[in-house]
Amino acid sequence: MSLHAKLMITLLLAGNAILVIELLRRKRFSESYTLLWLSVLSLTLVATWWGGFHAALAYFFGAIAPVSTLTLLSLVFILGMLIFFSMKVSRLDAQVKELAQELALRTSSSPGELRTPRPR
Amino acid sequence: MTVLEKGLITIPAFNEAETIGDVVRGILGENLGCDIVVVDDGSSDKTAQVLGSLPVIVLSHPVNLGYGAAVQTGMMYAVRNGYDFLVLMDADGQHISSQVGLLLEELRRGNDIVIGSRLSGDSGSYRIPFLRMAGIRFFSFLAWVLGGVRIRDVTSGFQAMRREVFTVLSREYPVDFPDAEVVVMLGLRKFKVAEVPVAVRERQGGESMYSKFGTVLYYPFKSVLSSFIVLLRMLREK
Repeated sequence: MSLHAKLMITLLLAGNAILVIELLRRKRFSESYTLLWLSVLSLTLVATWWGGFHAALAYFFGAIAPVSTLTLLSLVFILGMLIFFSMKVSRLDAQVKELAQELALRTSSSPGELRTPRPR
Repeated sequence: MTVLEKGLITIPAFNEAETIGDVVRGILGENLGCDIVVVDDGSSDKTAQVLGSLPVIVLSHPVNLGYGAAVQTGMMYAVRNGYDFLVLMDADGQHISSQVGLLLEELRRGNDIVIGSRLSGDSGSYRIPFLRMAGIRFFSFLAWVLGGVRIRDVTSGFQAMRREVFTVLSREYPVDFPDAEVVVMLGLRKFKVAEVPVAVRERQGGESMYSKFGTVLYYPFKSVLSSFIVLLRMLREK
Protein backbone atom coordinates (compact mmCIF):
# COMPACT_ATOMS: atom_id res chain seq x y z
CA MET A 1 0.00 0.00 0.00
CA SER A 2 1.39 3.43 -0.92
CA LEU A 3 2.13 6.10 1.66
CA HIS A 4 -0.51 8.32 0.05
CA ALA A 5 -3.19 5.61 0.52
CA LYS A 6 -2.09 5.03 4.12
CA LEU A 7 -2.33 8.75 4.89
CA MET A 8 -5.79 9.01 3.28
CA ILE A 9 -7.07 6.02 5.29
CA THR A 10 -5.62 7.51 8.47
CA LEU A 11 -7.41 10.79 7.76
CA LEU A 12 -10.72 8.99 7.20
CA LEU A 13 -10.29 6.97 10.40
CA ALA A 14 -9.45 10.14 12.36
CA GLY A 15 -12.59 11.78 10.94
CA ASN A 16 -14.64 8.81 12.05
CA ALA A 17 -13.09 8.85 15.52
CA ILE A 18 -13.97 12.55 15.88
CA LEU A 19 -17.53 11.84 14.73
CA VAL A 20 -17.94 9.01 17.27
CA ILE A 21 -16.62 11.18 20.14
CA GLU A 22 -18.84 14.09 19.06
CA LEU A 23 -21.86 11.76 19.04
CA LEU A 24 -20.98 10.65 22.58
CA ARG A 25 -20.68 14.30 23.64
CA ARG A 26 -24.14 15.01 22.20
CA LYS A 27 -25.50 11.93 24.02
CA ARG A 28 -26.46 10.20 20.77
CA PHE A 29 -24.12 7.28 21.57
CA SER A 30 -23.58 5.37 24.78
CA GLU A 31 -20.05 4.88 26.14
CA SER A 32 -20.10 1.17 25.34
CA TYR A 33 -20.75 1.77 21.62
CA THR A 34 -18.14 4.55 21.53
CA LEU A 35 -15.55 2.13 22.93
CA LEU A 36 -16.59 -0.51 20.39
CA TRP A 37 -16.20 1.86 17.44
CA LEU A 38 -12.95 3.35 18.71
CA SER A 39 -11.53 -0.17 19.07
CA VAL A 40 -12.58 -1.01 15.50
CA LEU A 41 -11.00 2.22 14.20
CA SER A 42 -7.77 1.56 16.14
CA LEU A 43 -7.52 -1.98 14.76
CA THR A 44 -8.04 -0.69 11.24
CA LEU A 45 -5.33 1.91 11.81
CA VAL A 46 -2.89 -0.74 13.01
CA ALA A 47 -3.75 -2.94 10.01
CA THR A 48 -3.15 0.00 7.66
CA TRP A 49 0.34 0.86 8.93
CA TRP A 50 1.61 -2.62 9.78
CA GLY A 51 2.61 -3.96 6.38
CA GLY A 52 3.30 -7.50 7.53
CA PHE A 53 -0.25 -7.79 8.87
CA HIS A 54 -1.84 -7.92 5.38
CA ALA A 55 0.59 -10.51 4.14
CA ALA A 56 0.16 -12.63 7.28
CA LEU A 57 -3.64 -12.52 6.95
CA ALA A 58 -3.54 -13.42 3.27
CA TYR A 59 -1.22 -16.34 4.06
CA PHE A 60 -3.50 -17.51 6.88
CA PHE A 61 -6.62 -17.49 4.65
CA GLY A 62 -4.78 -18.93 1.67
CA ALA A 63 -5.56 -15.86 -0.45
CA ILE A 64 -3.30 -14.59 -3.21
CA ALA A 65 -3.99 -10.87 -2.79
CA PRO A 66 -4.07 -9.28 0.70
CA VAL A 67 -6.89 -6.99 -0.54
CA SER A 68 -9.29 -9.96 -1.00
CA THR A 69 -8.59 -11.06 2.57
CA LEU A 70 -9.39 -7.58 3.85
CA THR A 71 -12.62 -7.48 1.80
CA LEU A 72 -13.66 -10.86 3.22
CA LEU A 73 -12.89 -9.75 6.77
CA SER A 74 -14.82 -6.51 6.23
CA LEU A 75 -17.86 -8.49 5.07
CA VAL A 76 -17.63 -10.82 8.06
CA PHE A 77 -17.34 -7.81 10.35
CA ILE A 78 -20.39 -6.10 8.80
CA LEU A 79 -22.40 -9.33 9.04
CA GLY A 80 -21.35 -9.71 12.67
CA MET A 81 -22.43 -6.15 13.44
CA LEU A 82 -25.80 -6.67 11.73
CA ILE A 83 -26.45 -9.84 13.74
CA PHE A 84 -25.40 -8.05 16.92
CA PHE A 85 -27.75 -5.13 16.24
CA SER A 86 -30.60 -7.47 15.26
CA MET A 87 -30.20 -9.13 18.66
CA LYS A 88 -30.16 -5.73 20.34
CA VAL A 89 -33.29 -4.55 18.51
CA SER A 90 -35.09 -7.82 19.29
CA ARG A 91 -34.25 -7.47 22.97
CA LEU A 92 -35.36 -3.84 23.00
CA ASP A 93 -38.59 -4.89 21.24
CA ALA A 94 -39.29 -7.44 23.95
CA GLN A 95 -38.51 -4.89 26.68
CA VAL A 96 -40.80 -2.27 25.13
CA LYS A 97 -43.57 -4.87 24.90
CA GLU A 98 -43.14 -5.83 28.56
CA LEU A 99 -43.12 -2.19 29.67
CA ALA A 100 -46.21 -1.32 27.64
CA GLN A 101 -48.06 -4.37 28.99
CA GLU A 102 -47.07 -3.57 32.57
CA LEU A 103 -48.21 0.02 32.09
CA ALA A 104 -51.54 -1.17 30.68
CA LEU A 105 -52.04 -3.51 33.64
CA ARG A 106 -51.13 -0.87 36.21
CA THR A 107 -53.35 1.83 34.71
CA SER A 108 -56.34 -0.41 33.95
CA SER A 109 -59.66 1.33 34.30
CA SER A 110 -62.67 -0.44 35.75
CA PRO A 111 -66.33 0.38 35.06
CA GLY A 112 -67.37 3.63 36.68
CA GLU A 113 -63.83 4.93 37.10
CA LEU A 114 -62.79 8.24 35.66
CA ARG A 115 -60.36 7.32 32.92
CA THR A 116 -57.16 9.25 32.63
CA PRO A 117 -55.87 10.11 29.15
CA ARG A 118 -53.76 7.40 27.57
CA PRO A 119 -50.03 8.17 27.90
CA ARG A 120 -48.34 9.06 24.60
CA MET B 1 -58.04 -29.04 37.93
CA THR B 2 -59.59 -25.67 38.81
CA VAL B 3 -63.31 -25.15 39.37
CA LEU B 4 -64.76 -22.89 36.69
CA GLU B 5 -66.33 -20.12 38.75
CA LYS B 6 -64.69 -16.81 37.99
CA GLY B 7 -64.47 -16.08 34.28
CA LEU B 8 -63.01 -13.34 32.14
CA ILE B 9 -63.86 -12.54 28.55
CA THR B 10 -60.87 -10.96 26.83
CA ILE B 11 -61.26 -8.90 23.68
CA PRO B 12 -58.14 -7.52 22.00
CA ALA B 13 -59.03 -4.43 19.98
CA PHE B 14 -57.09 -2.33 17.52
CA ASN B 15 -59.03 0.40 15.70
CA GLU B 16 -62.38 -1.32 16.25
CA ALA B 17 -64.50 1.73 17.16
CA GLU B 18 -67.15 0.66 14.62
CA THR B 19 -67.79 -2.74 16.17
CA ILE B 20 -66.51 -2.94 19.75
CA GLY B 21 -69.68 -1.37 21.24
CA ASP B 22 -71.98 -3.95 19.66
CA VAL B 23 -69.63 -6.80 20.57
CA VAL B 24 -69.58 -5.81 24.25
CA ARG B 25 -73.33 -5.17 24.38
CA GLY B 26 -73.89 -8.59 22.78
CA ILE B 27 -71.83 -10.29 25.50
CA LEU B 28 -73.55 -8.34 28.28
CA GLY B 29 -76.90 -9.43 26.85
CA GLU B 30 -75.96 -13.09 27.34
CA ASN B 31 -75.62 -12.69 31.14
CA LEU B 32 -72.66 -15.06 31.28
CA GLY B 33 -71.58 -13.85 34.72
CA CYS B 34 -68.07 -13.11 33.47
CA ASP B 35 -66.07 -9.91 33.66
CA ILE B 36 -65.10 -8.37 30.34
CA VAL B 37 -61.69 -6.91 29.66
CA VAL B 38 -60.94 -5.07 26.44
CA VAL B 39 -57.28 -4.61 25.58
CA ASP B 40 -57.02 -1.47 23.48
CA ASP B 41 -53.83 -2.12 21.51
CA GLY B 42 -52.85 1.49 20.87
CA SER B 43 -55.86 2.31 18.68
CA SER B 44 -55.72 5.58 16.79
CA ASP B 45 -59.46 5.77 16.09
CA LYS B 46 -62.27 6.34 18.64
CA THR B 47 -62.03 2.87 20.24
CA ALA B 48 -60.95 4.40 23.58
CA GLN B 49 -63.91 6.82 23.62
CA VAL B 50 -66.38 4.05 22.77
CA LEU B 51 -64.95 1.90 25.57
CA GLY B 52 -65.29 4.81 27.98
CA SER B 53 -69.07 4.47 27.90
CA LEU B 54 -69.13 0.70 28.43
CA PRO B 55 -69.10 -1.29 31.69
CA VAL B 56 -65.86 -3.13 30.94
CA ILE B 57 -62.32 -3.20 32.26
CA VAL B 58 -60.03 -1.41 29.80
CA LEU B 59 -56.31 -2.12 29.46
CA SER B 60 -54.66 0.39 27.16
CA HIS B 61 -51.37 -0.27 25.44
CA PRO B 62 -49.60 3.08 24.94
CA VAL B 63 -48.42 1.87 21.52
CA ASN B 64 -49.59 -0.79 19.08
CA LEU B 65 -47.87 -4.05 20.06
CA GLY B 66 -49.73 -6.58 17.95
CA TYR B 67 -52.65 -8.98 18.38
CA GLY B 68 -50.67 -11.59 20.31
CA ALA B 69 -49.32 -9.05 22.79
CA ALA B 70 -52.86 -7.76 23.40
CA VAL B 71 -54.10 -11.28 24.07
CA GLN B 72 -51.15 -11.88 26.40
CA THR B 73 -51.92 -8.69 28.35
CA GLY B 74 -55.47 -9.98 28.87
CA MET B 75 -54.06 -13.29 30.10
CA MET B 76 -51.66 -11.52 32.48
CA TYR B 77 -54.62 -9.60 33.90
CA ALA B 78 -56.53 -12.87 34.35
CA VAL B 79 -53.59 -14.51 36.15
CA ARG B 80 -53.04 -11.55 38.50
CA ASN B 81 -56.73 -11.28 39.36
CA GLY B 82 -57.35 -14.96 40.04
CA TYR B 83 -59.71 -15.90 37.22
CA ASP B 84 -60.48 -19.60 36.72
CA PHE B 85 -61.19 -19.47 33.02
CA LEU B 86 -60.75 -17.10 30.13
CA VAL B 87 -62.65 -16.69 26.88
CA LEU B 88 -60.99 -15.04 23.90
CA MET B 89 -63.18 -13.20 21.40
CA ASP B 90 -62.43 -10.93 18.45
CA ALA B 91 -63.52 -7.29 18.49
CA ASP B 92 -64.63 -7.28 14.85
CA GLY B 93 -68.01 -8.89 15.53
CA GLN B 94 -67.18 -12.21 13.82
CA HIS B 95 -67.67 -14.25 16.98
CA ILE B 96 -71.22 -14.58 18.19
CA SER B 97 -71.59 -14.12 21.94
CA SER B 98 -74.38 -16.71 22.22
CA GLN B 99 -71.81 -19.34 21.20
CA VAL B 100 -69.61 -18.76 24.26
CA GLY B 101 -71.77 -21.25 26.18
CA LEU B 102 -70.77 -24.01 23.73
CA LEU B 103 -67.10 -23.47 24.49
CA LEU B 104 -67.69 -23.37 28.25
CA GLU B 105 -69.73 -26.56 28.13
CA GLU B 106 -66.82 -28.36 26.50
CA LEU B 107 -64.40 -26.82 29.00
CA ARG B 108 -66.49 -28.19 31.87
CA ARG B 109 -66.19 -31.65 30.36
CA GLY B 110 -62.54 -31.66 31.42
CA ASN B 111 -60.78 -30.09 28.46
CA ASP B 112 -58.05 -27.55 29.14
CA ILE B 113 -58.66 -25.40 26.08
CA VAL B 114 -61.55 -25.37 23.62
CA ILE B 115 -61.30 -23.81 20.19
CA GLY B 116 -64.39 -22.64 18.33
CA SER B 117 -64.04 -24.13 14.87
CA ARG B 118 -65.34 -22.53 11.71
CA LEU B 119 -64.78 -25.75 9.80
CA SER B 120 -66.57 -28.36 11.88
CA GLY B 121 -70.26 -28.41 10.98
CA ASP B 122 -72.27 -25.37 10.02
CA SER B 123 -70.25 -22.18 10.42
CA GLY B 124 -73.18 -19.93 9.58
CA SER B 125 -72.97 -17.24 6.92
CA TYR B 126 -69.16 -16.98 7.07
CA ARG B 127 -67.26 -18.15 4.01
CA ILE B 128 -63.51 -18.64 4.27
CA PRO B 129 -61.58 -17.49 1.17
CA PHE B 130 -59.75 -20.29 -0.70
CA LEU B 131 -56.18 -19.24 0.18
CA ARG B 132 -56.98 -18.81 3.84
CA MET B 133 -58.76 -22.18 3.88
CA ALA B 134 -55.66 -23.81 2.36
CA GLY B 135 -53.54 -22.12 5.04
CA ILE B 136 -55.83 -23.29 7.85
CA ARG B 137 -55.69 -26.88 6.60
CA PHE B 138 -51.92 -26.78 6.27
CA PHE B 139 -51.33 -25.34 9.74
CA SER B 140 -53.83 -27.72 11.32
CA PHE B 141 -51.86 -30.56 9.71
CA LEU B 142 -48.61 -29.06 11.03
CA ALA B 143 -50.06 -28.82 14.56
CA TRP B 144 -51.02 -32.50 14.32
CA VAL B 145 -47.60 -33.61 13.07
CA LEU B 146 -45.53 -31.50 15.49
CA GLY B 147 -47.79 -31.24 18.52
CA GLY B 148 -50.01 -34.30 18.19
CA VAL B 149 -53.15 -32.14 18.36
CA ARG B 150 -55.82 -33.16 15.87
CA ILE B 151 -58.12 -30.21 15.32
CA ARG B 152 -59.35 -28.65 12.09
CA ASP B 153 -59.17 -24.92 12.76
CA VAL B 154 -55.97 -23.91 14.55
CA THR B 155 -56.29 -20.29 13.42
CA SER B 156 -59.55 -19.55 15.23
CA GLY B 157 -59.33 -16.75 17.77
CA PHE B 158 -62.53 -17.88 19.50
CA GLN B 159 -61.23 -19.90 22.45
CA ALA B 160 -61.95 -20.77 26.06
CA MET B 161 -59.23 -22.00 28.40
CA ARG B 162 -58.58 -22.99 31.97
CA ARG B 163 -56.28 -21.15 34.37
CA GLU B 164 -53.53 -23.75 33.91
CA VAL B 165 -53.40 -22.92 30.21
CA PHE B 166 -53.52 -19.14 30.32
CA THR B 167 -50.96 -19.11 33.13
CA VAL B 168 -48.50 -20.83 30.79
CA LEU B 169 -49.47 -18.66 27.82
CA SER B 170 -49.25 -15.43 29.80
CA ARG B 171 -45.52 -16.10 30.16
CA GLU B 172 -44.87 -17.14 26.59
CA TYR B 173 -47.08 -15.97 23.76
CA PRO B 174 -46.22 -14.85 20.22
CA VAL B 175 -46.61 -11.16 19.43
CA ASP B 176 -48.18 -11.77 16.04
CA PHE B 177 -50.20 -14.57 14.46
CA PRO B 178 -50.50 -16.80 17.52
CA ASP B 179 -51.95 -19.78 15.67
CA ALA B 180 -50.26 -23.10 14.94
CA GLU B 181 -47.28 -22.61 17.24
CA VAL B 182 -49.53 -22.08 20.27
CA VAL B 183 -51.45 -25.28 19.53
CA VAL B 184 -48.15 -27.15 19.00
CA MET B 185 -46.87 -25.86 22.34
CA LEU B 186 -50.07 -26.83 24.16
CA GLY B 187 -50.00 -30.27 22.56
CA LEU B 188 -46.38 -30.84 23.58
CA ARG B 189 -47.22 -29.74 27.13
CA LYS B 190 -49.94 -32.42 27.16
CA PHE B 191 -52.88 -30.06 27.58
CA LYS B 192 -56.24 -31.42 26.44
CA VAL B 193 -57.19 -29.40 23.37
CA ALA B 194 -60.73 -29.76 22.03
CA GLU B 195 -62.71 -28.13 19.29
CA VAL B 196 -66.41 -27.37 18.94
CA PRO B 197 -68.23 -26.19 15.85
CA VAL B 198 -69.37 -22.60 16.11
CA ALA B 199 -71.23 -20.23 13.82
CA VAL B 200 -69.38 -17.06 12.87
CA ARG B 201 -70.32 -13.93 10.94
CA GLU B 202 -68.49 -11.88 8.37
CA ARG B 203 -66.44 -9.22 10.13
CA GLN B 204 -68.64 -6.22 10.90
CA GLY B 205 -65.97 -3.57 10.42
CA GLY B 206 -62.28 -2.72 10.70
CA GLU B 207 -59.46 -4.47 8.89
CA SER B 208 -58.23 -8.04 9.31
CA MET B 209 -54.60 -8.45 10.40
CA TYR B 210 -54.32 -11.14 7.72
CA SER B 211 -55.20 -8.71 4.93
CA LYS B 212 -52.20 -6.42 5.39
CA PHE B 213 -49.61 -6.11 2.65
CA GLY B 214 -46.77 -8.58 3.11
CA THR B 215 -48.73 -10.86 5.42
CA VAL B 216 -49.27 -13.41 2.66
CA LEU B 217 -45.51 -13.99 2.53
CA TYR B 218 -44.63 -13.38 6.16
CA TYR B 219 -47.40 -15.34 7.88
CA PRO B 220 -46.72 -18.84 6.47
CA PHE B 221 -42.97 -18.46 6.89
CA LYS B 222 -43.28 -17.16 10.44
CA SER B 223 -45.81 -19.80 11.52
CA VAL B 224 -43.83 -22.74 10.14
CA LEU B 225 -40.57 -21.46 11.62
CA SER B 226 -42.13 -20.71 15.02
CA SER B 227 -43.81 -24.11 15.19
CA PHE B 228 -40.49 -25.87 14.64
CA ILE B 229 -38.76 -23.57 17.14
CA VAL B 230 -41.41 -24.44 19.74
CA LEU B 231 -40.66 -28.12 19.12
CA LEU B 232 -36.90 -27.54 19.47
CA ARG B 233 -37.36 -25.57 22.70
CA MET B 234 -39.56 -28.29 24.19
CA LEU B 235 -37.06 -30.98 23.23
CA ARG B 236 -34.30 -28.96 24.87
CA GLU B 237 -36.38 -28.48 28.04
CA LYS B 238 -36.77 -32.27 28.30
